[in-house]
Amino acid sequence: MDNTLKVAGMRKSFGKSLLFTLPMFLITFMFMTGGKPNFSDPASGLAMLTAFLLVNVLYFFMHYTGKTDRYRAVLFIIFALSLSYTLIHNMLEVRKSMSFSQADILECKIPFCHLVIPMMILPAAFTKSIIFPGSIISGFANISSMVVLWLVATLVLGRGFCSWGCFYGGWDDGFSRIRKRPVIKKISELWKWMPFAVLLMVVLSAALTMMPTYCSWICPFKAVTEFERVTSVESATKAGIFLSLFGGLVVALPVMTKKRTQCSFLCPLGAINSLSNKITPFTVKIDKDACNECFKCVGVCPLYALTTDDIKAGKVSLFCSKCGKCVDACSRNAIHYGIRGIPSGTMKNFSRNLFLFVSFLFMAIFSSGSIINTFHGLLKLIF
Amino acid sequence: MKKVKIIAGISWAIFCLILILILFPGLNSFSGSVSKLPFMKLNPRYTGGEIANQVIQERCTLDIRKPVFNGFLKERTSGFVQLDWHGTIPEMIKDSIDYDHDGNMDFCILVDRKNSKTVLDPISKKVKGVVISTPTSYGWAVRIGLLK
Ligand code: SF4
Ligand code: SF4
Repeated sequence: MDNTLKVAGMRKSFGKSLLFTLPMFLITFMFMTGGKPNFSDPASGLAMLTAFLLVNVLYFFMHYTGKTDRYRAVLFIIFALSLSYTLIHNMLEVRKSMSFSQADILECKIPFCHLVIPMMILPAAFTKSIIFPGSIISGFANISSMVVLWLVATLVLGRGFCSWGCFYGGWDDGFSRIRKRPVIKKISELWKWMPFAVLLMVVLSAALTMMPTYCSWICPFKAVTEFERVTSVESATKAGIFLSLFGGLVVALPVMTKKRTQCSFLCPLGAINSLSNKITPFTVKIDKDACNECFKCVGVCPLYALTTDDIKAGKVSLFCSKCGKCVDACSRNAIHYGIRGIPSGTMKNFSRNLFLFVSFLFMAIFSSGSIINTFHGLLKLIF
Repeated sequence: MKKVKIIAGISWAIFCLILILILFPGLNSFSGSVSKLPFMKLNPRYTGGEIANQVIQERCTLDIRKPVFNGFLKERTSGFVQLDWHGTIPEMIKDSIDYDHDGNMDFCILVDRKNSKTVLDPISKKVKGVVISTPTSYGWAVRIGLLK
C-alpha cells in the first residue's frame, strides 16, 4: 500500500473528529464544572474555560491529524508545570516557604506522591503500617487517594502511566524536546536496567530504615516541589543531591540526548510500571508486513524502549510508555497502538481510538485541578 | 483460539475503560475503602506513638507518648519518646518525666521557647539526647532518643 494512504488511515475528517471528541467534551465538562459552569468569579470561570478548551482542542487534533505524541506532550508538560506551581503555591501560602519543617513532618502534613509507593510495600506487609509522614485519608494528596489513582492507572495503562499520568514525567519530556538534534547520540542500552537496581535498593533500604529513602535522599523532583528545610549538614547534603540530580538527569541530559533520562535511568516507580505492562490491555504493536525496517522509530523513542532487534522480532519491549512518538514517526503506520489478543496489523483504528479515549481521559481529569489552579494564578497575576 | 483471544482482549480493554470512567466520580469512596485496610495506618515512627499519659498543668497539657522502638522485622535497640505540650504554654517549659512508669524520673527537660533552646538532663542511662525540639501548630513537641 502507498505510504500516504497508510498515514491517512489514522486521520479523520473534521466532522468525524468532532464526533470522536464529543464524549471527551461532555465528560470533561461534567468533571470540570460539576454540570454548572460558574462565572461569579471571572478569573476562576475563565481559568476553567481555558483548561476545558485546551484538553478538548488537543484531543480533537489527535483524531484530526492522526498524530498522538505531539498533542499528548503539550498536556503532559503543562500538567508537570502546573502541578509544581500548585504544590509550591500551596506551600508558600500555608508555610510561607517551599521547604517543610520538622513540625510538618511530626504532624504528618507532607503531601504524598506516587513515587513513595514501592517503598511502602514491604513495611506495609510486615509491620502493617505506612512509613510516610502524610495523611491517610484527609487533605491534599492524601495517601489513600494517591494509591487508588496509581493502582488503577497502572492496571489500565501499565507504563503508559509514565506518559499519560505521572505529574513529574512532563519535566524531562519537556527538556528532551528543546534541541532539534541530540548532542550525545549514544548511551549504553544497559543503563535502562538501572531503575530496577534503584528499585531494589530503595525497597530494601526503606524497609531497613523504616524511612522512604528515595524521597529523603534521591528524588530529583524535590527541586520543583517541596523539600526539608536546610538546617544541618545532612539537610544541606540532601538539597545538594536533589538539585544535582534534577540539573543532570531532568534538565541537562534530556536536552543533550533528546531522551527522558530521569525516567529511563533512575525512577524506581518506572521500573514497577514497566512490569505492569505485562498485564495491561493496551500495547504498542509492530506490523511486520508493513515495516520496511527503516528504524526511524528506534531513534525517536525517548525511553530506550525500542531497539533494532525489537523491530526485527516484531515486539516492543516492556519499557514502552505508549507515548506514541514512534507511532507518529512511522510513515507506514507499521508501529501502532494495539489491544492484547488482537493480532498486530489488524483493528488499528479501533485500538487507537479506545486507547486514546482511556488514556487521555485519565490525564485530562487527573491534571484538570492543577491546570485550572495555575491558569487562575496566572490570570490573577495579569489582571 | 484466535477469536477467543480477541474477545478476551477487547473485554479486558472495555473493562478498563469502565474502570477509568468510574474512577474519578468514585474516588472518595474507593479511597475511603482503601483507608480502612489493616495496613493503612501511619507507623508510630511518624505519628510519635500512642498517648500513654496526660499531665494537666496550670494552663497547658503535656502528652507523654509511648516509647517507639518499631523496626522492620523486630523492635530496635534505640528509639524515642515524644512529648507534646498544648494549650497556653509558658515561655519556659520545665518538666521531669517518668516515661516508663516505673515510679522514678528518667529525665528533666527545659525548653526555652523564645530562644529555641532545649536542655536535657538525663537521669536514666537509657536516655540518649534530644532528637527533635520544635514549635508545632498546637504548641511544642520534643522527641528524646532512648535505648531499650
Ligand atoms: S519514570 Fe517515574 S518520574 Fe518518569 S514518568 Fe514514570 S513514574 Fe514518573
Ligand atoms: S516504543 Fe514508542 S510508544 Fe513506546 S516509549 Fe518508545 S516511542 Fe513511546
